[in-house]
Amino acid sequence: MPELTKISQPHRFFLNMGPQHPSTHGVLRVLLEMDGEYIIEPQPVLGYGHRMQEKLAECRTCTAFMPNTARMDYAAALPYNHGYAALIERMAGIEVPPRAEYIRVITSELNRIASHLLWFGALLLDLGAFTPILYSFDDREQILDILEDITGSRLTYCYFRVGGVSKDIDDKFVERTRAFIKRLRQRFDIFEKLVTGNVIFINRVKGVGIIDADMCRRYGATGPVARGSGIPYDVRKNQPYSVYSEFDFDIPVGENGDSLDRYMVRMREMEQSLRIIEQALDKLPEGPYRGKIPKKIKLPAGDCCFSVEAARGELTYYLVGDGSDVPYRLKIRVPSYSNLSVLPELCRGMLLSDLVAAMGSLDLVIPEIDR
Amino acid sequence: MHRTESFAQSLRKLSLELQEVDFAQRGYHAEILLTADTLRDFARLMLEAEYFLVFMSAVHMSPAIELVYQFAQFNSQSRILGRLFLDADGVVPTISDIFQGSNWHEREVKDFFGIVFQDHPNLEPLILPEGSEDLKPLLKEEDKLKSCQEVSWQPAEAEGENEAAEPSGSEKS
Repeated sequence: MPELTKISQPHRFFLNMGPQHPSTHGVLRVLLEMDGEYIIEPQPVLGYGHRMQEKLAECRTCTAFMPNTARMDYAAALPYNHGYAALIERMAGIEVPPRAEYIRVITSELNRIASHLLWFGALLLDLGAFTPILYSFDDREQILDILEDITGSRLTYCYFRVGGVSKDIDDKFVERTRAFIKRLRQRFDIFEKLVTGNVIFINRVKGVGIIDADMCRRYGATGPVARGSGIPYDVRKNQPYSVYSEFDFDIPVGENGDSLDRYMVRMREMEQSLRIIEQALDKLPEGPYRGKIPKKIKLPAGDCCFSVEAARGELTYYLVGDGSDVPYRLKIRVPSYSNLSVLPELCRGMLLSDLVAAMGSLDLVIPEIDR
Repeated sequence: MHRTESFAQSLRKLSLELQEVDFAQRGYHAEILLTADTLRDFARLMLEAEYFLVFMSAVHMSPAIELVYQFAQFNSQSRILGRLFLDADGVVPTISDIFQGSNWHEREVKDFFGIVFQDHPNLEPLILPEGSEDLKPLLKEEDKLKSCQEVSWQPAEAEGENEAAEPSGSEKS
């Protein structure tokens, strides 16, 4: 990879996309060497939102780190809560009551839908279609309202606790969630008519930014990016955690690995999330929403990891304990990091306008990458 | 867990040995002790066996920094953790030409720990700003630094073979 300090040919020029650019959705900078409208060499420049979360984890007790987990992927914070709580539970050998696991799955899936709706609106906005985000935000608001009632926040949730969740769900929650499922199913038809069948949209994304299965393996791309390339890899199925093995749901996959396939995968994933929520609500067991946990949670010496399927792919926490209640080292493997690292290989030789479509289809959340 | 016999044979050729670990307790299925000489051959083998690099990172402990490489498969439940203890000269080769995803991971480890990966194409700062090469924020201060025995799983007395077969800290270093 050549270092971008000198322009290699006289008619080429540098273009800075970001750090403040509407289609990077966060402070990401992509340094582009351009030849006319074609990209010769794209290099992402990271770190504008870096907060050294991994060091922060070494400076506080393991339970006190929970709020930080929500401040990485702010668009889908609950899977981050989930992975971290489950990691501490695995290390300390803490049992979680079944009701708590069901609540975790229901709220995580709601959060996943909210995140996909945000992506849906933002992608279309990047491609020049203003209307879809108004529809998708309308639906996303409903989820935020439902989650706000039980978690107390609208975005950076800190709802899960080691051993369960912080508050039980009530009949009102169940009722509103059921009403939302019904509503969103009808809205899918609108999205279909408005966007999925739209010839302008299809021409912008079809065949653009093709990632094949081999590329996913070499870069460690996961989530809808890998599934768009035809790899049926989903941590919820591949390595079931929590109570996901009790539900019947499919893993949508694409064929060509282009931006359109990644779009289709996410749209179909929302339907699958609705199915999971529906089954979980039907089977919701009675009982405590939080198990008994010791006042001071001691982590044994040694390493341990826990992987969950976040909205953007595989999230893995890797923790090294030293026998105290403070993690000795916490590594957070975030999905967008590996997904974005395909960008230079993916976008070399592409039109600038196609870069916007390809990057939008990766569904990046920059604070997650920078941590 | 799905691992073929030829895979095990290739590992033996590199004189590497997989140690099964308890997934329910540790979150991965097997671990393997690597050296700087075997790392690249091992990475090639993992790519052939259709593994992907989940992440690579480092842990600062005494006497040496430990590099951690985690691999998993898309089509089966197999998660392997490779450990590599840095020598005194601290030389470790890059695997970014085999797993391109490790390019950024290695740059990040260079940022946070100051480890230099040989033959890395572009070891510029990734997450930290330029000019912060001396910061190495994830290196432990001397009073907080633990020995590798203190941060490794200790074989439990009454546990089964898995636990007993684990390399103890002293063997690792």
